[in-house]
Amino acid sequence: MDERRRRQDVGAVRAAWPTRRSLALAWAVAAFGFAALLALADAASGPLDDPDPARARPGVLDLDGLPAPAPQVAAGVPRPGRRAVVFFARPTGVAPLCQALARRPLPSDVDVAVVANGAGGSCGPGATLVVDPSAAHARSFGLDVPRDGGAPVGYAVVDAAGRIRYRTLDPGVAARLGEVATMVAAV
Amino acid sequence: MSDGPLSAAARRARAVRVCVWCVAAVVVEVGLYASYRGHDARFHWFTHFFVGASAALLVMTAVAWRRRRPVPLPLVWPLAGHLAAMAPDLAFVAGHAHRRWMDVFLGHISTHFVPGRNWTWYAVFLACLGGYLVVLARLRPGPQAHADA
Repeated sequence: MDERRRRQDVGAVRAAWPTRRSLALAWAVAAFGFAALLALADAASGPLDDPDPARARPGVLDLDGLPAPAPQVAAGVPRPGRRAVVFFARPTGVAPLCQALARRPLPSDVDVAVVANGAGGSCGPGATLVVDPSAAHARSFGLDVPRDGGAPVGYAVVDAAGRIRYRTLDPGVAARLGEVATMVAAV
Repeated sequence: MSDGPLSAAARRARAVRVCVWCVAAVVVEVGLYASYRGHDARFHWFTHFFVGASAALLVMTAVAWRRRRPVPLPLVWPLAGHLAAMAPDLAFVAGHAHRRWMDVFLGHISTHFVPGRNWTWYAVFLACLGGYLVVLARLRPGPQAHADA
């Protein structure tokens, strides 16, 4: 009786164990499934996104050669003893960004500048609007060139010592000012 | 009296329990992906998933080899690895910027910057998954074991 039960147990274990074919199938499904998902995610990148997604919104200070001295983009921005955020926008993005800043202002001890590569309206009293058709300021801040090769859309965070501590492309920054506030709070 | 029907019922119950956990793990992963997608951060989901799941698969391989059987709830382990790897992102959503020391969470910061980016971690993940599946295949009782019983 014991012998019969042992045979049944081993047989049951063997029957329940995945076959080599099913294991190979599981691996192949994972390989093709995740490759497809990765390819889809890559294809979903927009023209204003960073060509290297690892450098987009990393959320950590002092990456890639930072901190570095921050150039001035307007009178008093940045200035010693005060933190600053310098936004870089295309002309069509200025109004949504400035409206978002009006709705959700950054802390009052943070100077804000919006640098646009063309004329694009005006900002409220809380932000200094700078027109920079050649995108020279964006280059001097070391922002990456987006996928479409045009002017960068993103921002840089400057600490009270006048050093760039964070910079990133972010085409959706108007909807993510909370993320900007998080990075400002870290400097 | 044979215990065959009882064993079959027990096996079915175990299979259902495993399936419920697997479905729960997949649902949580889909939810996490949707959350990262909502933040326009799919790239980060892939990095932390591949890294966390790879680490979990290495542990699963060692445990399976030592116990001579598959690990229980196999999809829950990669989910746990993923949650460990992405933990600093939960802090970020709560308003805390990342710090270098957060690399203790399975390389949360530095894993983004490997050459090849997510395709490298995809390859690592497939290698780890393959390793675990090879161990399962090797541990499968052969016909000889059946005959020896």
